[in-house]
Amino acid sequence: MTEEIRIGVFVCDCGSNIAGVVNVPEVVNYAKGLKNVVFVDEGKWSCSVDALSSMQESIKEHKLNRVVIASCTARTHEPLFKQTVKEAGLNPYLLEFVSIREQVSWVHMNEPEIATQKAKDLVKMGVAKAALLEEGEEIRLPVGKDCMVIGGGMAGMTAALSLANQGFKAVLVEKRPQLGGLLNLISTVSSDKELLSAEEIVRGQAKLVETHPNVVVYTNAEIENVDGYIGNYSVTIKSNGTRNNFDVSTVIVATGMRELNLEGKFFYGSDSRVVTQLELEGILKNNQLGDVKNVVMVNCVGSKNETRGCCNIGCHVSIKNALAIKRVNKEAKVYILYRDLSMVKEEHFHIDAAKAAGVKFLRFPDDRYPEVTKDNENLVINVYDILSGRAFLLSADLLVLTAGFEGDETIEKIKGHLKVSSNAEGFFQERHIKLGPLDFPADGIALCGCAKNPKTLKETIEEGMGAAMRVSIPMNNGYIEAEGIVADIDLANCNSCGLCWKRCPYGAIRVNENKEPQVVKALCKGCGLCAADCPKECISIVHYSDDQVLAQVEAALEENPADKIIAFVCHWCALGGVDMAGVSRLQYPPNARLIRVMCSARVSIKFIQRAFDLGAAGVLVAGCEFPTCHYISGNYAAEKRVNRAKKILAKKGFDPDKLWNIWCSAADGPKFANTMREMVRELHLAKEV
Amino acid sequence: MDNSILIIGAGVAGINCALNAAKYGTHVYLVDDTPSIGGMMARLDKTFPTNDCSICIEAPQMYEVDNHPNIDILTNTEVRKVKKADGGFSVRLIKKARFIDEEKCTGCGACLEACPVTVPDELDGKIGGVRKLISIPFPQAVPNVMVIDPDCRYGRMRDKGACVGGCVVDCSQCRECPIALCVAACRKEGKDAVRLWQANKNINIAVRSIVIATGIADAKPPRGLYGYDLYDNVVTYTQFERLMNAGGPTGGQIIRPSDRKHAHRIAWIQCAGRGLEGGVPYCSKVCCMVATKQSIITKEHDPQVDTTVYYNDLKAYGKGFWAFYEKARENGVKYVRARPYDVFEDPETKNLTVRYEDLDSGELRYDEVEILVLSTGLVANSRNERLAKILKIQLDKLGFFKEKDPISAPLETEVEGIYVCGGATGPIDISESVVQATAASLKAVSPR
Repeated sequence: MTEEIRIGVFVCDCGSNIAGVVNVPEVVNYAKGLKNVVFVDEGKWSCSVDALSSMQESIKEHKLNRVVIASCTARTHEPLFKQTVKEAGLNPYLLEFVSIREQVSWVHMNEPEIATQKAKDLVKMGVAKAALLEEGEEIRLPVGKDCMVIGGGMAGMTAALSLANQGFKAVLVEKRPQLGGLLNLISTVSSDKELLSAEEIVRGQAKLVETHPNVVVYTNAEIENVDGYIGNYSVTIKSNGTRNNFDVSTVIVATGMRELNLEGKFFYGSDSRVVTQLELEGILKNNQLGDVKNVVMVNCVGSKNETRGCCNIGCHVSIKNALAIKRVNKEAKVYILYRDLSMVKEEHFHIDAAKAAGVKFLRFPDDRYPEVTKDNENLVINVYDILSGRAFLLSADLLVLTAGFEGDETIEKIKGHLKVSSNAEGFFQERHIKLGPLDFPADGIALCGCAKNPKTLKETIEEGMGAAMRVSIPMNNGYIEAEGIVADIDLANCNSCGLCWKRCPYGAIRVNENKEPQVVKALCKGCGLCAADCPKECISIVHYSDDQVLAQVEAALEENPADKIIAFVCHWCALGGVDMAGVSRLQYPPNARLIRVMCSARVSIKFIQRAFDLGAAGVLVAGCEFPTCHYISGNYAAEKRVNRAKKILAKKGFDPDKLWNIWCSAADGPKFANTMREMVRELHLAKEV
Repeated sequence: MDNSILIIGAGVAGINCALNAAKYGTHVYLVDDTPSIGGMMARLDKTFPTNDCSICIEAPQMYEVDNHPNIDILTNTEVRKVKKADGGFSVRLIKKARFIDEEKCTGCGACLEACPVTVPDELDGKIGGVRKLISIPFPQAVPNVMVIDPDCRYGRMRDKGACVGGCVVDCSQCRECPIALCVAACRKEGKDAVRLWQANKNINIAVRSIVIATGIADAKPPRGLYGYDLYDNVVTYTQFERLMNAGGPTGGQIIRPSDRKHAHRIAWIQCAGRGLEGGVPYCSKVCCMVATKQSIITKEHDPQVDTTVYYNDLKAYGKGFWAFYEKARENGVKYVRARPYDVFEDPETKNLTVRYEDLDSGELRYDEVEILVLSTGLVANSRNERLAKILKIQLDKLGFFKEKDPISAPLETEVEGIYVCGGATGPIDISESVVQATAASLKAVSPR
C-alpha cells in the first residue's frame, strides 16, 4: 500500500520583505486548497530558531511526510531547512524549496497582486513536485589507505613521503632505474640564499623515501594496466622484468616533463657546441665546462609561438646558469638573448645580480629570432637588439638553447589507463584551472608537478604535498560520500547505446561485462546530463526525476499558459544571477515560472516539448556562463541540446524562436532581468499574469 | 593539545585550506578581519585565462564553508595574542563589534533602506560606488548579515554607547539620523538585530597549528603617478575590474568616472611605478594577465572600443596564458612595448594624452585615451607587520611572511606549527594559492 501523501507548506513573511508585497495570508489560504496539503503555516521569520522548532513540532503533530518551504533562496537557506526536517525525523530529500523573495517580492515590488499570483503558482508547482518526491540518501563508498604514485621525481617523492608520514601506504612507480626525475640531470637550484646542489636535495629526499616503512618503490617500472575507480584500483606493473599486481585506493600522477626536441634548430644535434639548458646543467654538474670564452644563450626556443606557451622557468634558469658559468670562469663572456624577462618578486633582483657579474642581455623582437651561421667553423650569432636599436654579431664557443618543455612520453599510455585528458602541449588537464588545480574530474586521482605544466622546484614540492592532501581526505575518512542527488538506471529498456557512460564527466557510469551501464553512485554528482540524453529514458535523477520536473511544468501552466514562460534555471550560476537580480531589486516582468535544476544539462527535450504542448508562451533554459560549469561541461551539452530541440520543435510545427537560452553568471542580475524584459517584448506577452 | 587549527584570512587561500582540513576531519577556526569571507577574489569580475566568472566559482565554496560542520567562521575578527601552549597554541581573538546580532540578522536589508547616510564605498568610491553606513559587504557575503561602519561622517561612534548618545555628535541632535532609523526599521520587521551598544568581544581558543592566509594587497599608486589622483579618468586595475563587473557599482558598464559616459579608447600601463619612488620594484606576476583579461572583456562588452596595453616584459607564464595573450591580440587588443613618461589631461574633454617611447622603434609618441588604467602590481599587506609580531615570526624584506626554507620545507615558518600560504607568501595567482593552501592544510593537520 502506498502511504498517504501529507504535505506541509510553510510560507515565510521574511518580515516585510515578502509580506510587504505578497499577500501571504492569501497564499496560505490558496495552499490549503491544494491537493495533498494537510497543513499550512505562515511564519514571520521561518529561519529563526523558534520558527524552526515550531516547524519540527508541526511535522510530528500533523504527521507530515513532505514539506514545502516558500521563502528566500535555496542557494543560501536550503541546507538549514534540510537539517531542520532531518532533525524532525523526515528524510531531507522530501523537502522542496520555493523562492518567493528573490523571484517574487523583490523583483515585482510595485505589483502586489501579480506578485501574489506568481507566489501562488510557485507554491502550487512546489506542492505538485513534493507529492512525487522520494527519499534520498547520502551514499558512501569505502576507501582504503593506500595510494599509487606514478613518477618518482620530486613531485612524486614528496607526495609519497607526505602520505607515508600520515600512516598511509604509498606505492611509488618510477620508470627509470633510480628516483629523482629531472632533478638528477640538474647541477644547481637557486634559493633565496645561495645555489644549492641538486644532487644533495635529490639524494636526501630519495633516501627518506626508500627507507620509509610505508613506501614501496618500484623502479624500472612500466604500468601495464589499471582498472577500477576510487577505493578499488587494481594495477599491473612490470618492474625490473617482473610482473606485479596490487590493489590501491587512490592514484597520484606525477610523471613530469621533458625538454622539446630541438633537432635541426640552430645546428642543434649536428654541432656539439650547441646544447640545451638541461645539457648545460650536466656540463656544469660534471665540471666539463673547460675553457669556454664566449657563451651565448637563446631563450624561448620552441616556446611562445602558435603551438606552445611560455615555459615558465627558462628566464630564471638561463640567469642562474649564466651566473654559474661566471663563477667557474670569470673571464667568459656570457650573453643572454631574450624576448621578455619573466621574473617574479625576489627572482627579479637576480637580473641585477647577473648584470653586476657582467652578463650581457640583448633583447630580440618576437618575430625576429637570432640567426646562427658558421664562419670557418665558428658559430656566429646575428641578433637584433631592440633596446639599442642595432644588430650585433656574436661568436660563440658554446651556444645554449633554452628549450620549451612537453609532457613525458608515457602520458598517452597513462591517459588510457586512467581515462583522463591532456592539452595540446602534452600536459595533463586538471579538473579546473583555478579551483581544482590538483584534481582530475574523477574523484581519487590527483595530479601534481611538471606533468601539469613546467614549474620551479618549490612549486613542484608544494604540488606534491597538495596532491597528497587531496587523496588523503577520502583515505583518512575511510570513505567518500556523495549527496543523495544521483542517477539511477533502470535497465529494463536499456539498449546499451553507451551514451551515458561516454558522456558522464566524472566517469561515474561504468559498463559491466554484459555491456550494461551501472552508476557508481558515490562518484555521481547528480548533474543529470545522462538522464536528459538517454534515448530510452531509462535514467532517473533523485529529486529531479522526469515526473517531478514535468509535474512542475504542468502545475505552472494550468492557468493562462499563453502568458507564461517556463524557465529552467541551473542551481549554480543562473539561479545566482536570478538571486542577484533580486538582491539588487531589479524589477522585471513577472511572466516566468522558474524551475530549478542542478545543471542546465538536466533539461531534456521532453521537458521543453511538454511546456509547448501545454501552450507555454516561451521556454528559457538558463545555465552557467561559458566556460564556467559546476559540472565541468554541462552547459556546453545543454547548448547543443537546445539547438537540437529547436529543430525538433520546428518539425512539429512550433515556433523554435520561442525557445530561448542564456548563459548567465551569478554576478549578472542585470542579464537575467534584461532577458525577462526581452522575452516578454519579443514574444508579445501581456504583462498581467 | 586541542585538535583544532586556526586559519587567519578567509580569501580563496584560507577557504581552500579550511575546506581541505575540514573534509579531512579536522576542526577549523576560519578567521577574517573583514565582515565577510571571500577575500579579493569575491570582488573580481573574471579570472584568467578562461574568463570564468569569479564569484560564480567562489560562492559555492563560500557556502560550503558556511555549511561545513567542522568549520567555525569568525568574521570581523582579529588575532591579538598567540602563546605556545601544550604542544600547540593558545590564541586570543578579538571579535570587533559589527553592531549587529549575527544570530538574529537575516540580511533582509530593511535597515539599509532606512539608513539616511550614504558614503563612498572604500573599494568602489572612485568609480561612483556608494554604500550606507549600515551595509552588507557584497551581495554574496558569508555570513549574510549587516555591518555598521562606525565612521559616521559626523564623527566616530565610540566602542561603547555607539551611535545614539555615544557619537561625538549627539545623535539625538543629529539631523541625519535622529532616532537610529536602522534600529527602528529592524524592530518593525519583527527583529531586533541592530545592536548599537555592542562591544568588542574576546574569544580564547586552543589550536594545534596556525595557517597564515592573509592575502595580498594591490599597490596604491603614489599621488600624481601618470595623473592618478589628479585626473578623474585615471584608475587602477582593481578599480577597472570593479567597473567591468556586472555586480559592481556601474552594473558592468565601462563608463568614465568624470562624466559617466562610455569610454571608447582605453589603455593600460603595465608595471606602473616600477623604478619610481613609491612604485613596486619587482614583477608582480599577475598584472600582464589581468590587463589581457580586462582588455578582452572590454572588447566583449563592445568590440568597437580601442584597447592598448603599454608593456615592457610580458609575463605569460602559466598554463594557457600565452594562448590567452594571443586571443587578446586576435580580438584586436594592441600591445605596445613602451616606456610611458607622462600623462596630460585635456581639461575640457577630460581625455588623457600618454607620452611614451615606443621601444621597438625608439620613437617618442602620443596617444589620447578616455580611460587610463594603471597596473600597479601587488604588495604585502600592511597588517602583516603586526601579525608577524604577534606570531613571533619574520617578514622578508618585501614585507611578505618568510618561509624557513623555501626549497626543502616550503610554507613552513620559523615557528613549528605555523604555516603560510597564498598571497601572504608573495605575488601569486588563484590556482597557485589553492595549491599552496592545500599543501599547507596537509602540514596543519599532519602529526608533528
